[in-house]
Amino acid sequence: MASNMKAVKLRMKSIESTRQITKAMELVATSKLRKAKDKAEAITPGFTVIRHTLRDIAEGNLDFSSVYTRASASDKSCFIVIAGDRGMAGGYNNNLFRYVDEKAEGREFAVVPIGKKSYEFYKKRGNEILIDSYKEADEISIADCFSAAKSICEAYKTGRFGHFQLYYTEFQNMLSLVTRRIPLLPLEDFDKKKDPKSDIRNIIEYGPDAETVFETIVPEYIAYVLYSGLCESLASEYAARRTAMDSATKNAEEMLENLGLYYNRARQAGITQEITEIVAGANA
Amino acid sequence: MANTFHLQVASVDGLIYDGMVQSVSCRCIDGDRAILAGHTNLCTAVGMGTAKIKFEDDTSRTAACIGGMLSVMNGECRLIVTTWEWSDEIDVNRAEKAKERAEERLASKKLSEREYKIAIAKLNRALVRLSSCKVKQ
Repeated sequence: MASNMKAVKLRMKSIESTRQITKAMELVATSKLRKAKDKAEAITPGFTVIRHTLRDIAEGNLDFSSVYTRASASDKSCFIVIAGDRGMAGGYNNNLFRYVDEKAEGREFAVVPIGKKSYEFYKKRGNEILIDSYKEADEISIADCFSAAKSICEAYKTGRFGHFQLYYTEFQNMLSLVTRRIPLLPLEDFDKKKDPKSDIRNIIEYGPDAETVFETIVPEYIAYVLYSGLCESLASEYAARRTAMDSATKNAEEMLENLGLYYNRARQAGITQEITEIVAGANA
Repeated sequence: MANTFHLQVASVDGLIYDGMVQSVSCRCIDGDRAILAGHTNLCTAVGMGTAKIKFEDDTSRTAACIGGMLSVMNGECRLIVTTWEWSDEIDVNRAEKAKERAEERLASKKLSEREYKIAIAKLNRALVRLSSCKVKQ
C-alpha cells in the first residue's frame, strides 16, 4: 500500500507540472490571440473589398493580352500553404494539411510553405518546394508578402506553374476556424458569382492598357491576399492553441482531483488498518 | 444636389473610407485621373501622388496615396491602396526629416543597387507626403 501511495503522489506531481505548463501556454496564446484577432478583424473589411474588386474585374474581363488573364499552358499547380510554427494547437495544422490533400485530389503539386510546420510537413513528404524563405509565420511582414508575390508572379510568367492557390485557416470566431482555399492565378480560376446575368459582360476601360494594368495590380493583389491570409491564420492558430490548452488544463485538473481522492482514501485505509492491527495486538 | 457615387477606399490596414462622394482624384500610372458620378467601367493602377476626395457636403480632404488599384464597376468606385495617409494627419516635420535623410544617403556614393532603390523609394514617399500637405494649404 505504501509503495502504491508513493507512486500516486509522484504521478500527481507530474500532472501538476504539466498542468502548469498548459496553463501558461494558454495564457500566452490568449494574449497573442488578442493582438492577432484585432489585426485580422481590422483587415477583413478592406480585404473583402479587394477580393470583390478583383472578382468583378476577372468576371468582366474580355481582354486576354495579359499573361495573368490567359489560361496557362502548364497544368502544374503550386499551393501556398499557411500553417503554424508550432504544434500543441489541436488539429489546427493537420486539418489544413488534410484539406489541402482533399482538394489536390491526388495530383502532384509544388508548395510555398509558410510556417515551420508547413515546411517540415511538405519537406518530409517530398513535395517540390518553390520558396522556402518563409519558415516563421509569426515574423512575416507586409514587405515579405510583396516579395513573395513577386516571386510567385515570376514563376507563373515563366510557365513553370499553371495554377496558384492559397490555403489558410479563416478565423470566424473563437470556436469556428474554417480551412479555406483561394485561387490566385490565373484570374480565370476565380470563383464566379452564380448569377445568370454574368453572361452579360461590361466593357471595362483600362488605362493605359490592360497589360500594364494587370502587370501592376496582380502582384499587389496577391501580396494583399497573402497578408490577410496570414493574419487570419495567425489568429486561428492562437485560437486553436488556446482551446487545446484550455481543455488540456481541464483534463489535468480532473485527473488531479481523482488521484487526490484515491490517495486520501488509500491513506485512510492505511491508518484504519494500522489501528486494527494495534487493537488486535493489545487484545491478544 | 450634386451627383454622388459610392466610394470605398481600402488598404491592408482596413477600410479607410466607405461612403458617398462627389468626386475622387488620384495619381495613376498614366497621370492624374478624377472620377465623377456616372463614370464608365474602369480599371487602372495607382501610382504615387496626392489623392483628393470631395464629399457630399462640398468639403474635401486630401491624402498621400501610394500604389494600388482604382476600379469603377457599375457605378461603384473602389480605390485599393498600399499606403494612404490623410494630409491633415501627416507629420510634416517627420516627412521633412525623412526627405533630408534620403537625400543625404543618395549623396553618399557608395550605395549598392538595393540600398539605392530603398533610398529612392524613401525619398519619393517623403516627397509625396510633403506635396500632399502643400496642396491643402
